[in-house]
Amino acid sequence: MSDQWTIDRGLVERISKVARLELTQDEVEKFTGQLKVILEAFRELDDVDTEGVEPSFHPQELSNVLREDEATPWNWDPLENTEHREGRHFKGPRIQ
Amino acid sequence: MKAVIGLEVHVQLETESKLFCGCSTDSEGAEPNGNTCPICLGFPGAKPKVNRRAVEHAVKIARALECDVRPRFYFSRKSYFYPDMPKNFQITQYEMPLALGGRLLLDGRSIGITRVHMEEDPARLVHVGGGISSSLYTLIDHNRSGVPLVEIVTDPDLASSREARMFLEKLGLILEHLGVYDPGREGGLRVDANVSLEGGQRVEVKNITGFRAVEDALNYEIIRQESMANMGIAVERETRHYDAETNTTSTLRRKEQEEDYGYITEPDLVRIDVDDAWISRLESEMPELPDARIQRYVDEHGVPLFQAGIIVNTGLDLSRFFEECVGLFPEPGMVANWIVTFLLKSLNYEGIGLRESKVRPGTFVELLGLIGEGTITERLARELIKEYVGTGESPRSLVERRGLASAGREELGEAIDEVLSDNRKAVADYRAGQTRALDFLLGQVLRRIRARGDPVEVKRLIRDALDSE
Amino acid sequence: MTGVIERARTLDEEYGIFNALAESDDSTGGGRLEGVAVSVKDNICVMGMETRAGSRVLEGYRPPFDATVVKKCREEGALILGKTTQDEFGFGTFSVNTPFKVPLNPHDRERSAGGSSGGAACLTSVADFPHLALAESTGGSISCPASFCGVVGLTPTYGRTSRWGLVDYANSLDKIGVMGKTVADAALLLSVISGPDEYDSTVSQAQPEDFTEYLQNDVEGLRVGVPREYFGEGVDTGVSEAVWGAIKGLESQGATVKELSLPHTGVSLASYYIIAMAEASTNLAKFSGLRYGLHLPLEGSFDDYFSRVRARGFSEEAKRRVILGTFTRMAGYRDAYYLKALRVRTRVIEDFKRAFEEVDVLAAPTMPVVAPRFDEISGMEPIQHYMMDVLTVAPNLAGIPMISFPCGRVHGMPVGLHLMADHMGEGKLIRAAHALEVRG
Ligand SMILES: [Zn+2]
Repeated sequence: MSDQWTIDRGLVERISKVARLELTQDEVEKFTGQLKVILEAFRELDDVDTEGVEPSFHPQELSNVLREDEATPWNWDPLENTEHREGRHFKGPRIQ
Repeated sequence: MKAVIGLEVHVQLETESKLFCGCSTDSEGAEPNGNTCPICLGFPGAKPKVNRRAVEHAVKIARALECDVRPRFYFSRKSYFYPDMPKNFQITQYEMPLALGGRLLLDGRSIGITRVHMEEDPARLVHVGGGISSSLYTLIDHNRSGVPLVEIVTDPDLASSREARMFLEKLGLILEHLGVYDPGREGGLRVDANVSLEGGQRVEVKNITGFRAVEDALNYEIIRQESMANMGIAVERETRHYDAETNTTSTLRRKEQEEDYGYITEPDLVRIDVDDAWISRLESEMPELPDARIQRYVDEHGVPLFQAGIIVNTGLDLSRFFEECVGLFPEPGMVANWIVTFLLKSLNYEGIGLRESKVRPGTFVELLGLIGEGTITERLARELIKEYVGTGESPRSLVERRGLASAGREELGEAIDEVLSDNRKAVADYRAGQTRALDFLLGQVLRRIRARGDPVEVKRLIRDALDSE
Repeated sequence: MTGVIERARTLDEEYGIFNALAESDDSTGGGRLEGVAVSVKDNICVMGMETRAGSRVLEGYRPPFDATVVKKCREEGALILGKTTQDEFGFGTFSVNTPFKVPLNPHDRERSAGGSSGGAACLTSVADFPHLALAESTGGSISCPASFCGVVGLTPTYGRTSRWGLVDYANSLDKIGVMGKTVADAALLLSVISGPDEYDSTVSQAQPEDFTEYLQNDVEGLRVGVPREYFGEGVDTGVSEAVWGAIKGLESQGATVKELSLPHTGVSLASYYIIAMAEASTNLAKFSGLRYGLHLPLEGSFDDYFSRVRARGFSEEAKRRVILGTFTRMAGYRDAYYLKALRVRTRVIEDFKRAFEEVDVLAAPTMPVVAPRFDEISGMEPIQHYMMDVLTVAPNLAGIPMISFPCGRVHGMPVGLHLMADHMGEGKLIRAAHALEVRG
């Protein structure tokens, strides 16, 4: 990883696995080219001096927004939106 | 070869509601997915909100383990895909966790605590038609999704499976004292163990439930790694799954299959600031911890250190029992001795814990009182305690119902007189200097009073009677 | 108001406005929005009404709850009219990145209505019945379509409105806002939907305001700043002139005008896209075909199944952003991209804070150009799409409020004046825009 601002096919394929997103060979090809251009444009981030600058996770920092520990049941049917169910369980794919 | 062990301990915090929503954490008897809402199921548009009590429990744990609680901390998203994760990321803590750098003292040795952080529990999966590697499909119950967990990560300071187990027992006791954890809850404490042999690669054994299972899993894993080393095979860095039924571990994934978690700060939650005042308030709410309790039993009650240790380390129930007994029967030495020497043995024999038994402080001290006032002998009490533990019946009523009270002075006097007059030969032998004759006479008297007397005391009375004859 | 639903259906056929439409009028009336039809951007949950956020992956999803903003509109007596078209999850500037209907520009149907809240802006322009729009902006998705369609689009301060019920794009950037034909319309709807909400941890605790009180046609003494960087290369000269015309208008009504600099404007684009995609790629992870939305037969391992559902459910731009966003957070890249972008964001916020020590509002073009034609858009590379947002991303990164107000036409197409204020300064925006509106 000599330069973090470059990307190649192999990396795009690896990312697609991490992201659980099946890509066709054409998509890999196309995205690799487009991402190269995009990252080249984003490289200007490197020029900003951020020594000692804190990251901003939000535009304005709030703190200590907490809820009290009370059990308040939600009245709903959680399975209403799925076909993948068996009894009151959600049904999912196998692991391997 | 020396083993190097580090633990990641996941503890379910005792709260009413989940970490980020109002769903109940008590799912005993609930139907699958009955304790869920759009938040813990990660439905589009739903947002988490942090449970204050969970934070406070976690801070207490951190302080009990002598960690530095960070003045500000954040939650993060840990991304990985799995059917038990509604959002396919887990809300946990990463770069800025709740607390860092503590320790736990284990027989005078300091075991380092790397960090303490909070996170949400995933769902429970049932693998239908086979095991984790061979099922046809999975069934998902999200009642556990979003239940608050604290993860306690140790430094690689543990040197044996036995020590790992002792660490967990002590940790469990501390958590129980803090009132943040229920040792009776199934799966309330789950462990990932990292183990390597000196010079070898580190292997992580995932998701072990129970202290005993941790010791077993580590034993298996250490032997496996040793025999590999002996055969000249390099141990690879990997994650393994522990199967409690077969007591074996098997490969879950190799290093190159490790997930890239791609942590980001959870943008739906805000920073949490823990100022000194908040920490002080929580510390003031923290109860006495096990080590301090042991010391107090020694210092205030004069209980021998080893007995104090047994009482406290057995569990909070027993400590509370001891203290209530002492309140009712202010002879702590005797209480401790009877608990450690006889009560625990009887409970063990019955195969039950104090909590499930019918033993109560009020009735237990009755038994001690009966000894103290001389109504029954210690020996009889040792017999009676077995029956008492079994039935819980008041020892006093037991003694009365069965006529077990020690023979009174009058009855004893009569018995001695009768024995002496019926056994003149033995009396003569005694006078001739045969001490064994005295034991014979004692036996006769005890038989006559159906053993309801202290042999030493009865023997003294016989000797007195012989001398005054 | 059944007639309104019928009329909306006709407009939808002409302009591609709705992904879902109310079946009947269930409004209760009796509040500040009595007799008003409120349209809802597709990514805002309406209980029981199909909510897809412009994505096939949410096919068939009927939310079990209302977004807080929708609930508030119902309580004020509004008719919840339907779900307006948009780019998938808000990923776009022209509302073309969707497998569903693409909204057309009401002033020229060969052109884009803008994005990502394109359907909302289009309807706001063409509605011939009392209508207000709930829209949403992450990086400019209210201002852009408001500008292209010639309507008023008000993006509030981050946290002014609750995001409960918003299908997340980038949670630290997303803001639900409003569109209307007039500044008064926008002020009214913002008054209804703003305020604290126990269901959103990031919402401001500030009490709701009545923003209609700022409709006073008075800009005397208002200090207007004009950031140089917003009139640079790539900004159409016609657009610049129209915007300057409006700024002069404010000056003539008593405002003072000064030029100033926001030095991190250019680099805000990279910062914005990296943060937005990093967050978006985690938000989109939940769409895996199990609990709601698109379902496929449960075949293969979960890795296979999830990969297939996501390949089928996301269209091209969503895939691109998932790939890019995942990349920016991966081990070895995370510091250089994700964390660096967050630090640059701090610089961008500092720029604005410094500016607002000197001025009350900033004025600039909303978009560098007028609405492009669809044939122009189809020839653009992704990076050219992203560059279109160069004037809107900085205020969105900083979470400051902004209003796009129509300030004239170039080549027959509307131009938007963008006014920005400091956090919680919506009142000043309404005051300034209203003065221009009254002046006409
Ligand atoms: Zn819940």
